[in-house]
Amino acid sequence: MLDRDLVAEVLARARRGGADFAELYVERTRRRTLRLLNGEVREALSGLDYGAGLRLFYGIEVVYAYTNDLTPQGLRQLVDDLVRLRAGQVDSSGRGGLDFRVRAPVGLHAPSVEPEDRPKAYRLERLREAEAGARVDGRVRDVECSLLEWDQEVVVANSDGTWATDRRVRTRLSVMAIAQDGAEVQTGVSAPGLSVGLELFDHHSPREIGRAAGEQALTLLRARPAPAGTMPVVIGNGFGGVIFHEALGHLLETTAVARKASVMADRLGEEVASPAVTYVDDGTLPHGWGSSEVDDEGAPTGRTVLIERGVLRGYLVDRWGARVTGYAPTGSGRRQDYTLAPTSRMRNTFVEAGEASVESLFEGVELGLYAKDMGGGQVRPGSGEYNFAVREAYMIRKGRVEEPVRGAMLVGKGPETVRRVVAVASDRRNAPGMCGSLSGTVPVEVGQPHLLVSAIVVGGEAR
Amino acid sequence: MTPEEAKAYLLRRARERGVQVEVLGVWDRELGFRVREGSVEQVTRADRGGVGVRVVIRERAGYAYTEQLTPEALDWTLREAEENASLQREAVAFLPEGRALGHHDLLGEGLAASADSKLALALEVDRAVRAQESVRRVTAAWYHEREHHVHLGSTEGAEGSYRTGVASLGVGLVAQAGASLKQGYHADWQVSFAALEPGRTALEAARRTTRLLGARRLPTGRYPALFEPRAFAQLLGAFWVLWSGKAVAEGKSRLRGRLGEQVASEPVTLVDDPTLAAGLQSRPFDAEGTPARRTVLVERGVLRSYLTHSQSAQALEHPNTGHAWRSYRGVLEVAPTNLYLQPGHGVSLERGVVVAELMGVHAGCNPVSGQFSLQALGLWVEGGEVAYPVEDFAVCGDFLELLRHVVGLGDRLEWEPVPGAVVGTPTVLVEDLSFAGS
Repeated sequence: MLDRDLVAEVLARARRGGADFAELYVERTRRRTLRLLNGEVREALSGLDYGAGLRLFYGIEVVYAYTNDLTPQGLRQLVDDLVRLRAGQVDSSGRGGLDFRVRAPVGLHAPSVEPEDRPKAYRLERLREAEAGARVDGRVRDVECSLLEWDQEVVVANSDGTWATDRRVRTRLSVMAIAQDGAEVQTGVSAPGLSVGLELFDHHSPREIGRAAGEQALTLLRARPAPAGTMPVVIGNGFGGVIFHEALGHLLETTAVARKASVMADRLGEEVASPAVTYVDDGTLPHGWGSSEVDDEGAPTGRTVLIERGVLRGYLVDRWGARVTGYAPTGSGRRQDYTLAPTSRMRNTFVEAGEASVESLFEGVELGLYAKDMGGGQVRPGSGEYNFAVREAYMIRKGRVEEPVRGAMLVGKGPETVRRVVAVASDRRNAPGMCGSLSGTVPVEVGQPHLLVSAIVVGGEAR
Repeated sequence: MTPEEAKAYLLRRARERGVQVEVLGVWDRELGFRVREGSVEQVTRADRGGVGVRVVIRERAGYAYTEQLTPEALDWTLREAEENASLQREAVAFLPEGRALGHHDLLGEGLAASADSKLALALEVDRAVRAQESVRRVTAAWYHEREHHVHLGSTEGAEGSYRTGVASLGVGLVAQAGASLKQGYHADWQVSFAALEPGRTALEAARRTTRLLGARRLPTGRYPALFEPRAFAQLLGAFWVLWSGKAVAEGKSRLRGRLGEQVASEPVTLVDDPTLAAGLQSRPFDAEGTPARRTVLVERGVLRSYLTHSQSAQALEHPNTGHAWRSYRGVLEVAPTNLYLQPGHGVSLERGVVVAELMGVHAGCNPVSGQFSLQALGLWVEGGEVAYPVEDFAVCGDFLELLRHVVGLGDRLEWEPVPGAVVGTPTVLVEDLSFAGS
């Protein structure tokens, strides 16, 4: 994608301009979106993102610039502008002379069915199958199916001599079913995604994905408004892990920790969660939605144990975070695209399986909520306050799962909630999501087994 | 090639191939400083742009874009868009008849100031916040500006361009009193650089955050609610899509078929106006070249209009209000510009909850069902006075139901950017709302 001598020259110009580290990130991403509503194509979009981001460190000060102009003149202009902005001297003499260590992907997450291997009509057929699957009942009024495909090629080169390339191919099928009964309208969603090509449809049958969305919409139609108050909550496996993502994961990113803006800063070795909780972030899971061979700083991704049996063992550390805190980088530097400087981010983050049976979690609950499937959420790392929406929930009475309820919101403080995890089952599963933070929106997996939290504020309807 | 040259190239190639095409070329220039506790943390400078095309062949539409402006990439873009168009079964798409739209410069004053003077504003707001009582630290203070150039052209004769710009100054902080910690922020967005005032931004950020320290838990119940402008803007930002002609035509809005009906209480008048002087989202024409004009959506509680573009207007047999919106990287959508709730004559709360901030808006609002359940921070009011701050609670309800229970509006508008638009609202008094707490 780029000439190494030119890159070496650009990085050297930055160093001569006073920066103690320089990094160039170049990206070429093909995106395809196909969205159908009730069998008709509503959106068919293809695109090519193409640009470069140049990051310079002056101690812990970061200077960042990006452009779509990747010509030699464009890149030279980029670095000279940045150096001037930092009131440095532009020195255009000489060449780079960097001897790059080249690292190419080995194909750990490579697609087996390439995007170009199938015509667009093939995709259309799969989406129509998903729609047929979603129409489980005449009350399913509208079905929206979409297919997202990304094919991202990146090069990361830096003044330490790193030259890493990677290709990330990601595919996601998403089905939303809207069901109506009288004036009542509810939606159900199912949206699997992996770091794969079009073999996604072999891992997840479109018809089954459609059916899951349709059935969830029907369940919610008969759901009554959720109650309001504080109660025990059993959180479902898979996307249920979003609670830990919000309540704990974000607090462990050096983005927050290095600024002492996280209640988890400076607490390595302390017991910060219930002993039932072991929490891991793993960027190497084969074909994981949040996996890649190298991160967006060119460092190999790894497996990072964050919490081991309740004890804080590590943070998610990017290059800048490592400079500030002295912790070793964990291959966690990620960014949405070339327009954003990377920061420490989660990849595939999950609560490890415990030993309890799923049934035993419900047994002791007199009155509580079973939060089977979650929507999204948000956290303020400085105070640990989080909230997230429950998509599919049921009342638990005397140890039994009873009627569905809707509109529940779980609200609390992360550090308190993770101490209140009383039991963890053995059925861990991961699910894909999109996570937004300082460096944009990146694909991540969240995951956990079923687990029981002794008390959470449930925001429902006061009666 | 520049986006303008790429536009000309695409129009020529499309004419050669006998297809109808609309080309949107965009170029943005950005500059930003992020500082914290007296030192510069990040400087960002950017040039970014690209071209997006909408191709119509045999009444079928397809989209594609590219940021690489070489003849090969542009040809690929056109081919992909044609292929995307061929996937449609329904033949309903069309490009509106175009016209000369002129070249407009709406850039505000002062954006040409030196980079140093812009950095100084961020440093000043950071310093001023730290000087406030109970402020434990600044998480970030920032200055950011964006200059936005748009070129539109089509084979149907649309031809025009404009330039806009916005500068913003903001700060985030953590405040502490005893064991009580609160994180908060405030930011100001202006068309004119000179309108940014670091002292005011800092005071407002500190005030909004420190007043919530020592919060107590709110007992679950139904109370009158006074939404501060930021909180109500967040709600409106999540639910404006109820007025989207595209959502209405696709059956995703509960306002479908209700023009002329009373959908809100009498004090509610909702307007979208892309022609506002110094409006953050003002622009001379929309993404398909329809000239901008003011649209009243709700007048004294009565639903008067949806927000439409050419296709949703045709599908709904509704006037085209000129609300086509498009990023060069996306497809044609409908979006508001400067959307605001007309101020009233002032409000007061005797007993109830002041809702200061809402969190989790992207997940906790369902614009299809109209329901919301959101974490909130606020103040408890007793005897017309603020008694103490409250936390750990959620507000729940149905947005259209809430609009029917608006009993009063403040007399001053405040503007808040929300994804895709900017929303202005006064304080809003709702007579009865459900609160879930302890």
